[in-house]
Amino acid sequence: MVRHGRPALAAAFALLLAFALPPAASQAAACARPADWTGGTKTAGEVWTAWWRPDPAPIKVSAHFSIRFHLCGPPVSRVSVRGWMPDHRHGMNYRPVVALNGGSGTVDGLLFHMPGLWQLILGIRGETARETLIAETVLE
Amino acid sequence: MTPWHSRASAAARLSALSVVLWLLSGLAMPAPALQLTAEEERRILRHGPWPPASRPDPSNRVSGTPAAIAFGRTLFFDPRLSVSGTISCATCHQPDRAWADGRTRSRGHRTVERNAPSLFNLRFNRWFGWDGAHDTLWAQNLRPLLDWREMGIGPAGAARLVRSDRQLSCGYRRAFGAAPGEDDDLILVDLAKALAALLETLVTGRTPFDDFRDALARNDAAGQARYPAAAVRGLRLFIGRGNCAVCHFGPAFTNGEFADAGVPHFIEAGRVDPGRHGGIRRLRSSPYTLLGRFNDDPQRSTAAGTRHVRLRESAFGEFRVPGLRNVALTAPYMHAGSLRTLADVVHHYSTIDEERLHAGGERILRRLDLSERERSDLVSFLETLTEQPRRPVVRKPAHVQCR
Ligand code: HEC
Ligand code: HEC
Repeated sequence: MVRHGRPALAAAFALLLAFALPPAASQAAACARPADWTGGTKTAGEVWTAWWRPDPAPIKVSAHFSIRFHLCGPPVSRVSVRGWMPDHRHGMNYRPVVALNGGSGTVDGLLFHMPGLWQLILGIRGETARETLIAETVLE
Repeated sequence: MTPWHSRASAAARLSALSVVLWLLSGLAMPAPALQLTAEEERRILRHGPWPPASRPDPSNRVSGTPAAIAFGRTLFFDPRLSVSGTISCATCHQPDRAWADGRTRSRGHRTVERNAPSLFNLRFNRWFGWDGAHDTLWAQNLRPLLDWREMGIGPAGAARLVRSDRQLSCGYRRAFGAAPGEDDDLILVDLAKALAALLETLVTGRTPFDDFRDALARNDAAGQARYPAAAVRGLRLFIGRGNCAVCHFGPAFTNGEFADAGVPHFIEAGRVDPGRHGGIRRLRSSPYTLLGRFNDDPQRSTAAGTRHVRLRESAFGEFRVPGLRNVALTAPYMHAGSLRTLADVVHHYSTIDEERLHAGGERILRRLDLSERERSDLVSFLETLTEQPRRPVVRKPAHVQCR
């Protein structure tokens, strides 16, 4: 497990679950940072590759934040987001809301209420595939 | 992560030279007992600076205004705001008892289910009450005015009083810029907003811990040396093995959220306090929230928490993590005053029943099995969170003619 001491959401991604489509490494390499962004983190899964960034950045303990994301890959029908502290075995006290617009979107209502290791878990669903991407960050 | 690594990443605070000297001194002799690691320093620094920056509450149009603060002070001490004419806010929140009442559970017209918290540093909260049933300070202030067991004057009674009493209607006009109108609910909420303006001013003063923390931030060894050794040891437990700072986080020593600290929550045989779970349900059924018509902020810029709060099963039996500034002044402790002293609180954490606590799956608190000395160190540390000098007590205003 890769852990970053940086307070910013410099995240390590792990692929949890992917099926239905063969690996598409070239698709990941081709996924460019959205034109109007500076910063942000790129995450390559088997099916989708995500660019995403928190707002405000960096994420602070017990402060509300949103996320903007952009996905490269096959058409997306649904994205769900949750937060999880694996060491404590609890999630967030808030229910985030995802607004999806094509392959891009925003997530509002996130709040990480303790310092320590958090996972941001993106559940992506398309017509023929689904995939779970996990970003990890250590909040100070 | 090694201390060295994180030291380097916090290079702004330390020159490379002092790192080398520190390394050499660490190699040359046995590590002194109170030498803090870089990781410990970082964890200590995040409990300051104090006081934090603050701004007026956008949901309350009179937040921060002197006329409302003065009016709030009059209201706080006025027993006519209770149906019986005998109970004021100050009955349970006594200024010279750190704004609490020293009782396990408070008593108005009847004994209520919970302990009266002190009223310090509320302006930094996201949620109010032990169960966070309120999302603004003013909405919290409404509760005793509506609950018959506490004061219970209600909207009609309050509006009648303010309209008919010359001093109160003058104070109202000064604070809100207009005479009390026709809408009883609105008048009641306005009284709660004036009370909130008063309570926002109750920010605790500087403490010995803050002096130590700031001395650490500027690398001032002499300043650090003034902090008692027992308090340093207690502080290390607090941010280290005790894991206390995970919940009691940041400058106010609370993350502002809710947790199960293993405190029994029976009200009486057969009846339990649902804690946060009940608080979320009450919030959702209340007309007095940031999503309702009494929010003075058209943008609803502070309403994210109310909009997104999640009704979790695990919220059952959780209570708000209390801030710990001035905690030595606010005994008894916990939501129903079940622990009499700080030593009792530390003993509780030291001997906590893990089996009961981890039933819901969460693993933060552990039975600490602290030695007698460790327990007294932790108490010494908590005592250094008391402001020094004590700030002057807010008194009932002298009778001044309001015109
Ligand atoms: C009968 C005693 C009693 C009276 C009278 C009373 N309170 Fe309280 N107060 C309490 C108790 C008990 C709580 C904890 C309530 C809970 O969590 O359910 C509390 C909580 C509060 C809180 C929340 C503090 C926090 O940490 O979130 C505020 C603010 C407050 N009271 C203000 C007032 C004001 C203003 C008045 C007068 C209008 C008042 N109280 C009258 C007993 C009282
Ligand atoms: C899991 C989160 C959590 C951790 C970890 C934690 N606390 Fe608490 N603490 C709470 C909660 C929640 C309460 C209130 C519980 C209640 O009223 O039922 C509380 C109450 C207290 C109080 C009483 C404050 C008051 O005004 O009544 C003190 C003092 C305290 N904790 C100190 C500590 C110390 C010291 C540690 C470490 C040994 C610690 N806490 C660890 C959540 C936590």
